[in-house]
Amino acid sequence: MHELSMAQAIVDTVLDAAEKNNATEVVEVTIEVGMLTMLNPEQLKFLLDVIVEDTLLADAEIIIEDVPVEIDCRSCDYTGLANTDGSDHYLSIVKCPQCDERNVEILTGKECNVKTIKIEKE
Amino acid sequence: MRMHKVAEVEVQHDIMVANKKLARKNQRILDKDRVFSVDVVGAIGSGKTSLIEAIIDAVDYKIGVIAGDVISKYDAGRFENHNVPVVGLNTGKECHLDAHLVEHALHDMPLEDIDVLFIENVGNLICPVDFDLGSHMRMVVISVTEGDDTVEKHPLIFQDADLVVINKVDLAEAVGADSDKMVRDVKELNSEVQVIKTSLKTGTGFDEVIKAIDGFITDN
Repeated sequence: MHELSMAQAIVDTVLDAAEKNNATEVVEVTIEVGMLTMLNPEQLKFLLDVIVEDTLLADAEIIIEDVPVEIDCRSCDYTGLANTDGSDHYLSIVKCPQCDERNVEILTGKECNVKTIKIEKE
Repeated sequence: MRMHKVAEVEVQHDIMVANKKLARKNQRILDKDRVFSVDVVGAIGSGKTSLIEAIIDAVDYKIGVIAGDVISKYDAGRFENHNVPVVGLNTGKECHLDAHLVEHALHDMPLEDIDVLFIENVGNLICPVDFDLGSHMRMVVISVTEGDDTVEKHPLIFQDADLVVINKVDLAEAVGADSDKMVRDVKELNSEVQVIKTSLKTGTGFDEVIKAIDGFITDN
């Protein structure tokens, strides 16, 4: 359970970007969370809501976008979305949907990216 | 009344990538002093500390240990008794080590005086998956007493492992665990990884662990 430290890192990143852009308020934050991270989006959102109090983000809408798992298969020539066997979000086992092998390079799905923010300026 | 302007700002700052960059930096620091490092992860009470202690006593190369734990002084004290350099890393409320914490510990470790650095992670099979520390290999230590479904329940840590140790096999019968099933489960997830069944009490498999780590050091 490291959502709290990740939430803090996200808030620090947003505040840094907001200050650099002379924001008076942050109205929206969009975060991309890969489906292979050990982060539970619900917990992350809850903790963000708690720790933004008294910051420029206090009233910001937090949008969390799931990033699906894309792979490059080392066993066949497949590149694209992985088969994650319908496992639940944070314990996906990655397989190639074409040859069913697990010998794959993971291209996306491990992100915790602060993508964009919407800010108000004077 | 002054109008407020709303602007969208591209931030594109990935916190995972930031950790990875720090991890690469850690590896460069280690490589500069020709130190091979092993990230030791595993369940609580699986025998990580005991295994590292046994390795310290068995090998000729000079070892240093970063002892990461919620409260690290207990494990750090055990390693100090083996007369090796130790840096304790208190993670407090955190459930894993990250590259940034390890970087701080590296500053306090006499790297020029050691050959191999063991980094004992916090007992946890979930959170360390997300955090590369910059080590050269990752050894996962579990034991039969956690139940023989441990591997199935925590697949991702085994997919990225370089070496897997299944410890306390002498207790398998007593706790009703099938250690062969645990080996099969790991192989199912990661066909290339070496899996070694050990008992630090009876000595079963211990030489194989030493040999496996030696192999990684030689290949590095």
